Amino acid sequence: MKIVQSEILIARHFRKSIFKNPAIYIITAFIGILLLYAAFTGWDNYKSQNETSEKYQHESREDWLKNPDKNPHRMAHYGNFAFRKSTPLSVFEFGMEPFFGNAIFLEAHKQNTANFSEAGFSNSMLRFGEISIAMVLQVLLPLLIFFLGFNAIAYERENGTLKILLTQGINWKQLLIGKTLGIASVIMLLFVPTIIVLVLVWLFLQNFSITADETVKMLLFILFHLAYLLFFCVIAVLVSAISKTSKKALITLIGIWLLFTVILPRTTQAIGAYIYEAPSKIQFNSDIEKDILKEGDSHNPNDPHYKAIKDSLLLVYKVDSVQQLPFNYSGFIMTEGEKISSRIYNEHLAALLKIYKKQNSFSKTVSFLNPYIAIKNLSMGLSNTDYESYIDFQKQAEDYRYAMAQKMNALQIKYISNTKSDKPKIIGKEHWAEVDEFHYEPEKIGTVLKNEIVSIISTLLWIAALFILIRIASHKLKAI
Amino acid sequence: MLSLLFKNFIRSKGTKIGLLFLLCIGFISLLIGKQFQDKQEKSIQEATIYQKEHIARNAAFHKDEIGLLLYYIKFSLVNNTFPINSLAIGQRDVNPSIQNVTIRGLEGQKYDTELNNPNNLLSGNIDFSFVLVYLFPLLIIAFSYNVISEEKESGTWKIVATQSQNTFKYILQLFYVRILSLIALFTVLLFTAVLFLNIPLDQSFFVFFGIGILYILFWFVVCFFIVSLQMHSNVNAVSLLTIWLFLIIIVPAGINAFIVNKYKIPEALELTITQRNAYHEKWDTDKNETMEKFYKHYPQFRTYKLDEKAEFTWLWYYAMQQMGDDESAVQSKELETKLEQRNRTSELIAQFIPTLHTQIQLNEIAKSDLHNQLLFLKKTTQFHEKLRLHFYPKIFKNEAVDQQKWENYKVETFKDATEISFLKAFMPLLLFIFVLIGFGWRNFNRLAA
Repeated sequence: MKIVQSEILIARHFRKSIFKNPAIYIITAFIGILLLYAAFTGWDNYKSQNETSEKYQHESREDWLKNPDKNPHRMAHYGNFAFRKSTPLSVFEFGMEPFFGNAIFLEAHKQNTANFSEAGFSNSMLRFGEISIAMVLQVLLPLLIFFLGFNAIAYERENGTLKILLTQGINWKQLLIGKTLGIASVIMLLFVPTIIVLVLVWLFLQNFSITADETVKMLLFILFHLAYLLFFCVIAVLVSAISKTSKKALITLIGIWLLFTVILPRTTQAIGAYIYEAPSKIQFNSDIEKDILKEGDSHNPNDPHYKAIKDSLLLVYKVDSVQQLPFNYSGFIMTEGEKISSRIYNEHLAALLKIYKKQNSFSKTVSFLNPYIAIKNLSMGLSNTDYESYIDFQKQAEDYRYAMAQKMNALQIKYISNTKSDKPKIIGKEHWAEVDEFHYEPEKIGTVLKNEIVSIISTLLWIAALFILIRIASHKLKAI
Repeated sequence: MLSLLFKNFIRSKGTKIGLLFLLCIGFISLLIGKQFQDKQEKSIQEATIYQKEHIARNAAFHKDEIGLLLYYIKFSLVNNTFPINSLAIGQRDVNPSIQNVTIRGLEGQKYDTELNNPNNLLSGNIDFSFVLVYLFPLLIIAFSYNVISEEKESGTWKIVATQSQNTFKYILQLFYVRILSLIALFTVLLFTAVLFLNIPLDQSFFVFFGIGILYILFWFVVCFFIVSLQMHSNVNAVSLLTIWLFLIIIVPAGINAFIVNKYKIPEALELTITQRNAYHEKWDTDKNETMEKFYKHYPQFRTYKLDEKAEFTWLWYYAMQQMGDDESAVQSKELETKLEQRNRTSELIAQFIPTLHTQIQLNEIAKSDLHNQLLFLKKTTQFHEKLRLHFYPKIFKNEAVDQQKWENYKVETFKDATEISFLKAFMPLLLFIFVLIGFGWRNFNRLAA
């Protein structure tokens, strides 16, 4: 019991000394303002993003249903839209959102790109980074921790007070833990209010009707950030303890911060992108076109693939021309064509995504060396603003597109006359409602955790490493 | 004296490591620039080959109907990539440098994006401009935060002060040595780039060079100012890093958030929906109404009349497609205006933030900024219109496919000829430099007196 008391005493004392510096009030006030600004812009962004995307999703759905009686293939070309929606946590962590396309036009035969990303409409300013709560928590607070903590032990050593402390029965472990708690208690003055505001905003955004999934994500978001910040408190104290002078401690800590938050994230990703070069869009598209032609061209009456289908159909139904078939032949051929072209597209896409995955593997692995990347990946995963979420959005959109196109083909096969009659080749508008509205379902917590398993393991390892480091340090450190 | 100072500076282990680190990462940035350049060149070559094959294949296939053929074939317009672009990739990784369009409605094709790994975009490129804008200042700070203060703390300052007649001159010499070595490093890197990336030594290059030098000087002047306050080394280091953090991350990010929120662009989504509906609803409305609108836009095509008996004609089809663009023109214009406003506002604000200003100017020189992208979009519209005017009469007359010289339709290139304004490029940086030197000088004089 007595041991804990002396640690708290050290913590309290250190905290007092931190508050003796008037600069701390300015910095705290400033970071507070920044957090509010970040919360406000995040909220504003989230609201306008979701409002517009909901508005147009709804509008385009109404337009779809309002279409008069017509040929189902016309409807397949009329198409639908997939608009991307954000999750509540993305108010705090923008992640890759600015680089995501916000709308995909979904039509028959063709996989369109996700267009209108924020980045495409921005000046290079965006590339300097964004102010979000996550950025403040992950980038600025660690630096603040370093600024507060570089003095922790090095200053006592410079002053000669370290020896006095150690001779008065305080051991190294108590000193390290006490100082860490001291910094942590100052940081908590920023962290706790932030989390309270965060939770309130988060509740408010969902009108206080929260799902279990969102709650777990939120809790993990808070927990991981807490662990992350504590980690930096320990690092600050340890570096301060091994440095001869406070200046050396400061410079080392600044170096660590720069390496973790600025240099490593960029370089590792750049190395990945340099080694695994992705194909250009032109190449990607022309490869797909070539493969589709190889497989068979549905427009070509003499194409062997489609001729074989035709011959077998004629044989089964015992007729001599496609006009005599009991169903719409061109609808049948389009179904086949769509099946082939989407299969080929998906194969090429899978190959492309594999390259991307390899590119990302570098920075993912580096999370074992860099806690910043670990927490960044985790928080992006939890807020569904990471790479996997985007790919998932595109996949959901493509699945919807395929289902829609094939539904229209099925309607054509079933209802459109096969002969050259005078009857107009149209079907009733009531069929349009048979295609459901596009609804994007963000990845659930289970999937997120599975995707980010590397980051989770590395965060756990980092925490374990800290305990070990404190243990080793308390045995090896010397007063001078 | 100067050579001694230089020896003293260069002999320190920290200096050597710092310079070597910057040199290495500088070379890496050139490698990345080279890869970018090669990829761009390859894409353009591929586009040329692809367009030729693509047109030939389709022309052989749809030989009976030119209207149907032009439904399929795509024509490419390339946004010319200058070699200097490899030094400042800017927005060229987000935005495609090649547009592929059919003569159908443009608005649905104009904003198609490049294939991208969002992870790469998020972390950003390590191009030369990154090394200059982000990393050079860090080294400058590391080299100069403890000028004087270190000597004061170790007690050698009094010796210096008594031994030299003019301590201010001594301080200037200390800075002179540091400035010279970093400018030398910058020059070496940039001229390596010239050889490695085949950058022509033209006006653009020298403005790039000039901005780089001024930017380096700017950071030295910031350090000079902080040092002139004569505080403890630790305080200097913390202050300088905080300034760096502000100028590199916080202020640009704050301004970006401001601009994005001020000029929101729901028009983008509105545009796509309007464009789709405007075209598709024409299938179910009166043909003559559509044609009347079309003739109003292109009176020269009034002579081509609709065949009343035919259920479908290409004249009607392309008139419908045209309506998609015509009826979404308002939204398209609004989007364009908003984007121009975004660009103007950010350039205006950037003049007061040296880091932002430098980055935006470098991108402007390299033709990789938003302005270039907007010009390219405009040019795409013109290119598309030219194709339409060329092919419309051919389609309406149903000219024979094999009578056309398809091999003559080559990939076209847009060259951004925006002039560089010296005043706009250099003035803001020069002003900051002079003001800070003035303040620093005043501080030194006041404290010396």
